[in-house]
Amino acid sequence: MSKGQLIGILVVLIVIVAGVWYATRPKAPATPAPTTPAPTTAAPTTTAPPQTTAPPKKVKVAVMFDIGGRGDLGFNDMAWMGAERAKKDFGVEVTYVQPRSEADYIPRLRELAGSGEYDLIIGVGFLLTDAIHQVAQEYPNQWFAIVDSATPDPNVRGILFKENEGSALVGILAAYVTESNKVGVVLGMEIPVLYHFEAGFYWGVNYVENKTGKDVQIIYKYTGSFVDRALGKQVSEGMLAQGADVLYNVAGLTGLGVLDAVHDFNVQHGKEFGPPFAIGVDSCQDWMYPGHVIASMMKRVDNGVYYAIRDVVYGNFTGGIVAYGIKEGGVGISGLEELQAFMQIAQEMGTELPDTPENIIAKWQQMRAMYPEEVWNTIEEVKQKIISGEIQVPTTDSPEEIQAIRQRYGVGVLGG
Amino acid sequence: MRLDLRQYAKPLAESALSVLIGVAVGTLLVILAGYSPVVFFKALFGGAFRSRNAFLDTLSYMVPLTLTAISFAVAARASVFNIGAEGQMYVGALVANAIGVVALPNGVHQVVAILAAFLAGGLWGWIAGILKAKRQVNEVVSTIMLNWLAFYLVNYVATYHLYDPKAPYKTEYVRETARLPELIPRTSLTLDWVLTILIAFLMFFLVWKTSLGYEIRATGINPTAAEYGGVDPSKVISISMFLSGGAGGLAGAFLVLGRFGFITTTLTNILNWGFDGIAVSLVGRNHPIGILFSALFFALLYNGALEVQVATATGGKTGVPIELVLAVMGIIVIAVAVPGLWDMVQERLLLRRKRVEVREEAAGTVGGE
Repeated sequence: MSKGQLIGILVVLIVIVAGVWYATRPKAPATPAPTTPAPTTAAPTTTAPPQTTAPPKKVKVAVMFDIGGRGDLGFNDMAWMGAERAKKDFGVEVTYVQPRSEADYIPRLRELAGSGEYDLIIGVGFLLTDAIHQVAQEYPNQWFAIVDSATPDPNVRGILFKENEGSALVGILAAYVTESNKVGVVLGMEIPVLYHFEAGFYWGVNYVENKTGKDVQIIYKYTGSFVDRALGKQVSEGMLAQGADVLYNVAGLTGLGVLDAVHDFNVQHGKEFGPPFAIGVDSCQDWMYPGHVIASMMKRVDNGVYYAIRDVVYGNFTGGIVAYGIKEGGVGISGLEELQAFMQIAQEMGTELPDTPENIIAKWQQMRAMYPEEVWNTIEEVKQKIISGEIQVPTTDSPEEIQAIRQRYGVGVLGG
Repeated sequence: MRLDLRQYAKPLAESALSVLIGVAVGTLLVILAGYSPVVFFKALFGGAFRSRNAFLDTLSYMVPLTLTAISFAVAARASVFNIGAEGQMYVGALVANAIGVVALPNGVHQVVAILAAFLAGGLWGWIAGILKAKRQVNEVVSTIMLNWLAFYLVNYVATYHLYDPKAPYKTEYVRETARLPELIPRTSLTLDWVLTILIAFLMFFLVWKTSLGYEIRATGINPTAAEYGGVDPSKVISISMFLSGGAGGLAGAFLVLGRFGFITTTLTNILNWGFDGIAVSLVGRNHPIGILFSALFFALLYNGALEVQVATATGGKTGVPIELVLAVMGIIVIAVAVPGLWDMVQERLLLRRKRVEVREEAAGTVGGE
């Protein structure tokens, strides 16, 4: 490179940089925020705060994801949705951090807590437990919340969900729907939260077995990942090959591969509807492949996050454990209302729907109508009994107990 | 040790210019995404200087980056393209974890775990070295394959043997006696940072001040000439791959003994540092001192990547998504790595031309007689 060329490049560069600087400087503070209309039907369980009592000061909240992060159309996106809703309702400032690697967890939490700027720091996901526990001890005057886990610290709210209750409902559905009498569960990393899903689902399948005399075989598989969609698809294909015709996604982003596998399988066999069916998780995933996702186990992470922020705004935030079940609107099975709400949210987030909302709803209703009233009535009946406390769905946090539960129901591991 | 400052002026100037080019291109991306580049780059480069602890935490990222970069550089000096630091790191982490859970007295425990991880990583690297030296197996292919082997091996052992019965998604915590102490409380800066700096200088000494280092460099420049000069290239290649692997193994050991205390069964908490090390080494011109600066630069960016997300979230707008931050970082890293790569290619071309000239000259002399 000659001297002339070098000087030429330098001049061009300086001009570019200066130009860009100049162009962006005056309007930097004035960039308008994209206005998103409030999802009207998204939060049937939230109570609107009285408009007259304005919060005394601008509350700031930081949301920290684990490395899975946004874009899973489920758990993490739901958490952020709750924060955004709180922003609109209470005028709080929310910001999120998506770590690059797990080495970032503790340093970044310390940074957030140490800045003293945040009224609440929310960790989204079980894998942040150790980091939150450690940093909460170091900053005892900082409020924390963690979704899907709890720590013994008084300044940490553990936001838990009774996934076993919601899973029981989809378990009942799965047992009714299966024609091959074989259903599968595709799971993420083996953490205690996922035992709740397992225990509830097995219970639900067993409930139908006892009621109808059907004999349903269950296979499960831990993929070891929440972020590997291709792996989820691969494992699901293995289950489909073994004849399972209802697959329960309990694997975050990995679990979207379950939906992919079921959809592709049906397309290859020229079927417009299942079975095989997939069961979605966390958000309402029924719209993603209309006709192939029979229902979703809704886990309203958004509400958990929303309530935590609301409590900070109104000064009644507390540490300790809160657990949201069917009764509290924390978990449930997707219905028409949720389908509509989540299609709207997906569109607002810039996700393209596979079809027009009207067509999706029509196809969805057609799919659901394939199954007799008895199925839906049973689900509703169990739901009411869980709410009244008449039925208690088993659950566990311990590896030994889940092993015992699997044995009790004769659940087999895929490939084992 | 006398340092000629002039020899560092050129790479420094090139790197500075490269950063500018990277920033200029990145600026366009940031503007297209609708964010202020001023806020973006201020946070990206300045996030680490926000507070004392932020800076110290940033320094802690240097540990795995420096060691995996050294793993690449030592082999590169012998003209071996080692892509295997990732796998060597997995193996080192596993061995350190396995030794960390047995009962040994404090002090001895760390030394044993670190040395064993070094040996294990070294042996893992040596496999690729000996395959190249004895059977001319391309090291790029063999190290990539060894990475996968290491991944599934560690995955298997962690899942079925070393797992924590109370939390099966990860291995058992190493005992307190095996942990490396914090240098400064409430930061991630542990004793391994000091060890890492020492290791970088040790590598400088080894490659530039010892006869083994001379043989490594001679083999790297021209194996035929080195062999003619009495060097056994196959020995040098396997030794340099052993040292490379050892450095990778240490990276894994320090992640376990210093930072985490465990590995997840699917290795999610130690993934990718080995691949990052390749870029760190290229930016640092495969030179240990250059690598230290380069690792610091990367560490600043790693801290900044998170700071950017917070800093750009103002006025009710969500921050820059991490994907965009990583894309801009990637552009800067590529821009900064280009001069180093260019030098490597130039040297190769120059050598080849000289070799051809010498051959022609020799042929000419013979013909003329």
